[in-house]
Amino acid sequence: MSTATNEHHADHSNDDGAVHAHVSSPLFMIGIFATLIVLTIVTVAVSYVDLGSANSFVALLVATLKAGLVSTFFMHLRWDRPFHALVFIFSFVFLAIFIGFTNDDLSTRGEIDPNNGVHVLERSGAVAPGGIQVPAAPPATPGHETHEEHH
Amino acid sequence: MSSATTTEASHGAHAEAHGHHPPFLQHHFDTPAHQFDAAKMGMWIFICTEILMFGGLFVAYGLFRGREPEIFHLAHERLDKIMGAANTIVLLFSSLTAALAVRQSQVGDRKGTTRWLIITLLCACVFLVVKYFEYTHKFHDGLLPGTHFRAHLPAYAHHGHTLPYRAHMFFALYFMMTGLHGVHVLVGMGILTWVLKRNLRGEISKEYFTPVEIGALYWHLVDLVWIYLFPLLYLVG
Amino acid sequence: MATEVAVAPGHHEDEPDHMANYLIAARGVKSWLVTLDHKRIGVMYLASVILAFFMGGMFALLVRLELLTPGRTIMGAATYNRVFTLHGAVMVFLFIIPSIPAAMGNFILPLMLGAKDVAFPRLNLLSFYIYVVGALFSLFSIISGAVDTGWTFYTPYSTTSSSSVVSMTLGVFILGFSSILTGLNFLVTIHKMRAPGLHWRRLPLFVWGMYATSVMQVLATPVLAITLALLAMEKVLGLGIFDASLGGDPVLFQHFFWFYSHPAVYIMIVPGMAIVSELFATFSRRAIVGYFAVAMSSLGLALLGFLVWGHHMFTSGQSEFSTMLFSALTMLVAIPSGVKVFNWTLTLYKGSIWLTTPMLYALSFLVLFTIGGLTGLFLGTLSTDIHLHDTYFVVAHFHYVMMGGTVMGFLGGLLYWWPKITGKMYDESLAKVSWFFVFVGFNAVFIVQFIMGSRGMPRRYYDYVPEFRPYHQFSTVGSWILAVGFFILAYVLVKSLRSGAKAPPNPWGSAGFEWNTATPPIMQNFAVTPTITRGPYDYHEATEEELWDGFPEDFKKSEP
Repeated sequence: MSTATNEHHADHSNDDGAVHAHVSSPLFMIGIFATLIVLTIVTVAVSYVDLGSANSFVALLVATLKAGLVSTFFMHLRWDRPFHALVFIFSFVFLAIFIGFTNDDLSTRGEIDPNNGVHVLERSGAVAPGGIQVPAAPPATPGHETHEEHH
Repeated sequence: MSSATTTEASHGAHAEAHGHHPPFLQHHFDTPAHQFDAAKMGMWIFICTEILMFGGLFVAYGLFRGREPEIFHLAHERLDKIMGAANTIVLLFSSLTAALAVRQSQVGDRKGTTRWLIITLLCACVFLVVKYFEYTHKFHDGLLPGTHFRAHLPAYAHHGHTLPYRAHMFFALYFMMTGLHGVHVLVGMGILTWVLKRNLRGEISKEYFTPVEIGALYWHLVDLVWIYLFPLLYLVG
Repeated sequence: MATEVAVAPGHHEDEPDHMANYLIAARGVKSWLVTLDHKRIGVMYLASVILAFFMGGMFALLVRLELLTPGRTIMGAATYNRVFTLHGAVMVFLFIIPSIPAAMGNFILPLMLGAKDVAFPRLNLLSFYIYVVGALFSLFSIISGAVDTGWTFYTPYSTTSSSSVVSMTLGVFILGFSSILTGLNFLVTIHKMRAPGLHWRRLPLFVWGMYATSVMQVLATPVLAITLALLAMEKVLGLGIFDASLGGDPVLFQHFFWFYSHPAVYIMIVPGMAIVSELFATFSRRAIVGYFAVAMSSLGLALLGFLVWGHHMFTSGQSEFSTMLFSALTMLVAIPSGVKVFNWTLTLYKGSIWLTTPMLYALSFLVLFTIGGLTGLFLGTLSTDIHLHDTYFVVAHFHYVMMGGTVMGFLGGLLYWWPKITGKMYDESLAKVSWFFVFVGFNAVFIVQFIMGSRGMPRRYYDYVPEFRPYHQFSTVGSWILAVGFFILAYVLVKSLRSGAKAPPNPWGSAGFEWNTATPPIMQNFAVTPTITRGPYDYHEATEEELWDGFPEDFKKSEP
C-alpha cells in the first residue's frame, strides 16, 4: 500500500490490504430505524400544535437529527474515515455560505434607502415597480399586511 | 505481459502477502482496501456536490418563504400531510433495507443481499406511485407552477376557498424540489438495479462489496434530501 | 499475473504493450476513442480545447472587426450580440474551464504523483464524452439562431429573448457535469494515488493548484447546474422564480449565477498559477520561495472565491449592506494573489534564469496578471465601481486576468510539456517570435480598453460615439497582431508534429516528478512505481544525471 494512504490512517498501514469495514448488527439498525420513525411521528404531531415560529425550528431540528442518524449509522460515518465526515460537513458549511450571503442581501435590501431619499420595496412603504401582475382578478395579498406590521 | 510482473514487484510486501491479484482489483490500485477507499471517497465527494445542487433550491425556498410566510402556510395546506408522512416512512424503511443489503454483502450472504436490494427497489416504486397520485391531484386542482397556476380562479376553489395568485411560487418550488428528488429516486433505482445485477452474476463477495456500499450511499442521500423536503414542504409552521 | 491480464479493462488479444510509448502502444482511431489511459484522454481534451480556442478566437476577431468603425462595419446589431455572446460562452465554458485542468491536468497530474492512472479511469473517459455532448449542444444553439444574452444569461432578458437560450443552457449544464466529474476524480487521485514518499509537503505546486481547482469545481458547479435548470424551466414552464412580474426575484438569478461563476473565475486562474509555479522553478533552477505559502494561497483563493461573488452585483439593486460586505471581503483576495506574485518574483531573484519560450510566457503571466489583479481592486471598490461598472475597463480587467493570466499559463505549459506529450521538440526561435506577437498584440488590444472604459465606453455596445474611434481602431489592429502570433504558434506546433527533432528525456533539465518517466511516457507511466525521496524543486539534491538524462527506467531509491 502506498504511503499516501498510510499517512492518513496509520491503523491501516500494516494490514493485509483487504477491506475491513465495520459490520453493524441488524438489530442495531432496526433500532435506528425505529428511532427515525418515532422522530417522524413527533415532527408530524408537532405540526398540528401551533407554536408560532418555533414550529419551523422544531421541524428542522428533528430533520437534522434524522439526517444525523442516517449519515452516522446507515452511511457508516461513525466507523468511516474522519475525512469523509469532514467532506460531508464541509458541504453544509458552503451551503451555509450560500444561504447566508443571499439572505443577507434579501433581508437588508432597502434598509439604507430612506436615508438616501430612495423609495423602493416594502420597507419604505412603497410598492416596488413591476410588482405582481395577476392574470385574473388580483386577490388581497396577506403578504403586504405583515410587512406593514413590521414597520 | 511484463507490466504485470513489475506491478507485482513494486508492491513488495503486499505482493508477497497476497501472492495473487484478485480479479476485481483494477490495475492502478495497490490493494483492495486502496480501491475501496478511493471509491468511497469519490462517492462522498459526489454526495457533497448533490447537497450543493439541492442547496440552490433550498436557498430559493428560504427566500420566498421568508418573504411571504402566510402564503406559504396557506399553500402548504393543499399538500397531503398523510401521503407525505407515508412516503417518508417508506423512504426511511428503504434506507434501512439498503443498509441491511450492505451488511449482508459484508458477511458474504449473497441471497440476503439480493433480498434486501429487491425490497429497497420495491420501496422506491411505492414512493413513486404515491408521488404520482400526489402529482395528478395537484394537476387536477390547478396547483401548477408559474404561469400555469389556476388555483386562484373561482372554478378551482377548494372547499369554497381560492388561493392567492402568489401562492404559485410555493408550487413552483414544490415541483422543482420534489421533481429533482424524483429524478434522483429514478437514478438511484437504476444504480441499485445495476448493483443487483452484479450481485446476481456473483461479482459481489465478502472481499468486494464496493458496488453495494456505493449504491447504498447514493440511496441514503436520496433519503437525506427527503428528510428535509418533508418538513419544509408538508409541515410549514 | 494471468489474473491481472484477465481484468485489464478493454483487454483483447491485441492487448497494448504497457511498456511501449503511449502514443504507439495501441493503434487505430478506436484505440483512442475508448481509451482509459489518462494521457490519451488528456490529449483528446487538448485537441478539443484548442479547437474551441480557435473558434472563440474567430468570434473575437469578428467582434473587434465590427468595432473598427462606429455603426455597421461587417454585421448588424443583432448578429453582433450573438457573436460576442458566443465568444464569451465558447471561451469560458468550452475553452478556459477545461483547458488546464482537463487537458494538462489529466496528462500531467498522475505523472507528477507517480501513479499509473487517475483514480477512476472510466469516469475520466465519461467526463470527456460528457464534455463532447455538452459542446455539441452548444454548437447546436449556434446553428439554431445562437444566443444574444451574453455569457452570463442574466434574467429577465434571457427568459424573454427569442434566441436559442434553452439549448445553450442545456449545453452548459452538461459541460458542468464534465467539470464536476473531473474535479472529483482529481481530488480522489491526489488523496489516494500518490507514490510512496510523496507526502503533502512534497506535492508539486501544479498538484496543489489542481487540488484547489477541483475543490471549487466540486462545490460550485452543482449550483450552476441548478441555476441553469431553473432558468430553462422558467423559459419552458414559466416557473416565475426569477420573474419579478410573477413575484420572483431577478437579482436572485445573479446570486445563483455568481455563486458558481465567481469561484469559476478562480477555476480559470488558479490552474494558470499552478503552471507558472512549475515554470518559474524549472527555468530559475531553484525551489519556489515560500513553497508552502504558495500552495496554501491556492487553497486560500479557493475559499475566498466563495465569499466575494456579490462584487459582480454592486449595481444590481443588491442591498447596500451586502455590497459593503462583499467589497470588504473582495480586498482580501489581494492577499493570496500577492503571496504568489511576491514569491514568484523572489524565486527569480538570484535564480539562474533560462529564457525559453515557456519562461517568457511565465514572465508575461507575472506582469499581465499583476495588472489584471490590481485593476480588479478598482472594481472591487464601491465608489469607483459605480463609474467603471459594465464599461470596457471591466472587459480589459478580466481579459488581463483570463487571457494575460490563464492563456499565458496555458501556452507556457503547452510548450513546456509539448516534448513530454508528443516526444518532439519545437522550433524555439520561431516560438519566441510568436510569443512576441502574442504579447505585443495582447497588450495593444486591451491597454486601450482600460482607457476607453475609464472614459465611459460601455461594454457589449454595438455602436459608439466618435471620440472612442481611435481607441477602438488601435484595439482592433492589436487583435490582428495577436492573431498573427497565434498563427505562427500554430505553425510551430504543426511543424514540430510533422518534423520536430526527437525530444531528449528531460529537455528542460527539470527536477519535477513528471520527468520521472520516459518522454513520451510509456503506457503505464512507470515501469516501477517510483519512491520519492526529495521535493519536486530540490535542485540541490537532484543529480546531473537525473536532470539531463531523465530518470533512468529503473529509477528507484530506497527510503533511508
